[in-house]
Amino acid sequence: MTTLLRATSVAVLIVAVWGASVTAQIQRVIPPSLPPLHMPIPPPELLDERVLMRLAQAKPEQQEEFLPIDQLPPQEQLPAGPLLVGAYAFVLLVLFGYLVSVARRLSAIQREVDRLDADVKQIGRG
Amino acid sequence: MPAWFTPAAIVCGVMFAGSPVVIAGAPYESTMGLVQKIFYYHMPSAWMFLTASIVCGVASGRFLSTGDGRHDRTAWSAAEMAVLFGLLTLVTGPLWARKAWGTWWVWDARITSSLVGWMIAWAYLILRKYGGPGSEKLAAGLALFGMANVPFIYISVNYWRTIHPATTVVPRLPVSMGVPLWYCVAAFLLLLVLLLKLRVRVAEQQARLDAIYLSLDEQRR
Repeated sequence: MTTLLRATSVAVLIVAVWGASVTAQIQRVIPPSLPPLHMPIPPPELLDERVLMRLAQAKPEQQEEFLPIDQLPPQEQLPAGPLLVGAYAFVLLVLFGYLVSVARRLSAIQREVDRLDADVKQIGRG
Repeated sequence: MPAWFTPAAIVCGVMFAGSPVVIAGAPYESTMGLVQKIFYYHMPSAWMFLTASIVCGVASGRFLSTGDGRHDRTAWSAAEMAVLFGLLTLVTGPLWARKAWGTWWVWDARITSSLVGWMIAWAYLILRKYGGPGSEKLAAGLALFGMANVPFIYISVNYWRTIHPATTVVPRLPVSMGVPLWYCVAAFLLLLVLLLKLRVRVAEQQARLDAIYLSLDEQRR
């Protein structure tokens, strides 16, 4: 049980790290030059040329169709190897850890039974 | 332990040791490529998670109707199996999805209901550990809800919009992919049976120990 709790704590930690990395990616994707949505944009005559250029650049291009993963540019593709190895390693490590945990629990109970047997015998002699 | 346990454990170990070789022999899926091979551990884990939830629910139902402690011990052990295999499913799935779908997690019906089922199994264990006297019946009731969730998890992909493939995918797999899948399912099923047996043994020994302590206390009085 304790080992399971520990294992789950580790899993929660891993999920937290994933969450942090995903959040960091999202933050990278949002252009820093975009004004917040709730902020009213002043009329063009009040904006200088640099601000207009930045606003024009910030406008995202429309994507009109689905792009399959294998057609993404190389810098946007994820390597499959680490994910695959990570999945298999995780399964085998967790299963092994659980097996060790059950074996330890079983041997601890067996030791306690042996100790009790010895106590009962001692009481019987006394 | 029964006589079949050790040979079965050896067979299971050999099957797991050989599984990378069998999986490596399977062809690459045309759109997902290498990462699709997570499937051969992800899906058997998910099936064992559902099986353990059903075993837990059935044993709990029998415990509630008969009051027999053996069923209670089986249910408790199966709940631990559900947590174990559920964890494997919920971790290997996102690792596959990150590459195949471009995201770690989607709140679709199957993933969300699987998470709920896993949390019900966790709730069972927490209730048994900290619930005090009488918690076994409360936990048994909870296990029935966990079991009721299983068909929902299974058929959810056929009724709700999801990125998960429908349940018709497995029967239509080509032999070159079906053989590694069923090999892994057999290995995981054998592992589930062995771990369940081992865990029930722990629960039985614990019950025996508690009985000895109780009788010692009565003798001292």
